[in-house]
Amino acid sequence: MDPLDAGRLRRLQLAGIASGFTAGAWLGAAEAPTKMVTLGLSPVVISLTMVLGVFLARWSLPALLRGTAAIGADVRQAPHLVVWAVLAGCLWSVANTLTVFAIRDIGLSIAFPLWNANSLLGIVWGAVFFNELRGATWSRRSGVLGGAVLMCAGATLLAVASAAGVPGGHAARGVTAALAAGALWGTMYIPYRKAYLTGMNPLAFVTFFSLGEVGMMTVLALADRGGVASLAAELVGAREVLFWLLLGGFVWVIGDLFQQYAAKYVGISRGIPLSNTNQLWGLVWGLLVFRELLGRGGATYGQVIGGSLLMALGAGAIALASATRPEHDRWTEAAARESRRYGIDPAYVRAGLSGGSVDAATGRRTWLDWVLVGGATGVFVAFALIARLPQLTLAWEWVAGLVIAMVALLAGTGLLLWRTTRFN
Amino acid sequence: MSRLTAMLTDPQFWVPVLVLVAGLLVLAWIR
Repeated sequence: MDPLDAGRLRRLQLAGIASGFTAGAWLGAAEAPTKMVTLGLSPVVISLTMVLGVFLARWSLPALLRGTAAIGADVRQAPHLVVWAVLAGCLWSVANTLTVFAIRDIGLSIAFPLWNANSLLGIVWGAVFFNELRGATWSRRSGVLGGAVLMCAGATLLAVASAAGVPGGHAARGVTAALAAGALWGTMYIPYRKAYLTGMNPLAFVTFFSLGEVGMMTVLALADRGGVASLAAELVGAREVLFWLLLGGFVWVIGDLFQQYAAKYVGISRGIPLSNTNQLWGLVWGLLVFRELLGRGGATYGQVIGGSLLMALGAGAIALASATRPEHDRWTEAAARESRRYGIDPAYVRAGLSGGSVDAATGRRTWLDWVLVGGATGVFVAFALIARLPQLTLAWEWVAGLVIAMVALLAGTGLLLWRTTRFN
Repeated sequence: MSRLTAMLTDPQFWVPVLVLVAGLLVLAWIR
């Protein structure tokens, strides 16, 4: 396959890095609507409802941005990737459920850094399976590895600062659950990277990812609640707050879409740690909007400042260690392997890797697209109409400031992606 | 080689499958 010219490679790397940072902002903000839920819902049901919001967003946003005709054309080029997308969705759901149990058993401060190590596992899989960091200079390898380690250290400090208290009990069980969640989330990026090296559009991949996600989450919720009747009763009883959870899922999807573009254009070894800046944004929301650390001692604020600086330094090091031509040539070799092994049209693979598309259907919208967009909007509006605003004191000036910052990132990175790749 | 055979003989497929099975086993154990 022909190598990309240097200018094009630089623009794609920039789009990928910007996507990673924007993903962090939106993934971090996804927790905010869920904090509006003060009712005693079980964690698994909260997770299921968020995933239902994710499902609605993942079938409507791609229809709006690209159209189901283009998504169908993508799947016809590489139908085997549907299996990979569903598999990745299942991995996500099991990991997310494990984190609930890990927090219960060992507390957030110990559990979070353990599963945040998923970025280190992602670096291993990226190097072993997809030639990431191969051909890179030592300074760039050190930038990515050192940056990921710095971010893990920062995450540890932030988690300690934000922990509400360490529950007693089953330490070994909790540590195992947190490590398993990290292993699942780190491994989930194998299907991501495979799909994007093959040339699939992220907007196509996420629609099928959500089938695995919602299917597995439903099975886990049914097993946890003991059947359909009790699960349905809990959902009906909580109908006044379901909107906030669906909204959390919607915000999460916007972040995840950018995470997918980061995985596509800078690889999983850089994309995962950059997206993990979501912890920093989650803390900013908790600190400024929900005033969670009000009245805590100076040590806590020291941990917050130190942890934030470490995370920012790590993310900066990774952003500056973007892939150069020799490394990108090795990515191209990994893509050629996919083309040969699965009999994929090399022109399709080449177009995907260079941020383009061979699909002429891009841009067309059908009645199905508008049904999906209208249906999802209708569901959100219906739940919004019956939603109850909880009695919470929020710092609305900070809500406005953070929303403006998020929308600015969304618009800036969205424009950059559109100009560079036309959302391919 | 069909795409199905290619997938079933691809180590990159079995790594996520095995990790998923292991995750489900851990979940069953801690619940």
